[in-house]
Amino acid sequence: MLHERFLEAGTRLFAISIDSSERNAAMVEKLLLPFAYLSDPDRTEVIGPYGLADPKDVRNIALPAVVLVTPAAEEAFRFVSRDFAERLPEEKILDQAVNLGLQPTTQERPLTANAQPGPRSLSAEQLRIYYRGARFAALAMGLRHAHFSDEIKNDSKAYVAEMDRYTAAIEQLMSRSPHSI
Amino acid sequence: MVADFTVVDQEGKPWSLSKNLDAAALLIFLRGDW
Repeated sequence: MLHERFLEAGTRLFAISIDSSERNAAMVEKLLLPFAYLSDPDRTEVIGPYGLADPKDVRNIALPAVVLVTPAAEEAFRFVSRDFAERLPEEKILDQAVNLGLQPTTQERPLTANAQPGPRSLSAEQLRIYYRGARFAALAMGLRHAHFSDEIKNDSKAYVAEMDRYTAAIEQLMSRSPHSI
Repeated sequence: MVADFTVVDQEGKPWSLSKNLDAAALLIFLRGDW
């Protein structure tokens, strides 16, 4: 699994959003996340100081981004997505972690308390349908507008690939816990 | 050097970056629950 490969590279994973710890707990339980999910509701602790509050969103939620921090507290790598639909392929992030040349590490599975999903939270099955719909919409738009520029064609291909990865991940999740989600 | 920070984890307990750098840390910023 991908998380284990990051641990092999000496890197632990931590998710961060503006949501409450209760909503984050619900996400951990729903997606069976093997890492902690941190809450910065006012964006004053890390989202703002790290320059990752979305200026285009009235709620100033976090920009989709990853920041790799070394054990010496140095920033080794950062990728900030252009929008909610863009995520760097996980293998490219893993390459950055591997390049640090660290010894393997371990990470305890996160415990949860008072899990409360948000009002618009989707079940795993709903996410699977969403990813498939998004995939075909991106494919159609890419085909329709490919003649305009290579950038549009490449963006479409990248997003289709992203949705395929997410669909595979959610289907694997559903096969592991069909009764809880 | 990155700024240290303390937030709350999914269990409602304090979590500090500086106390978790005995390994590298990949911080994954998300828009919120979905």
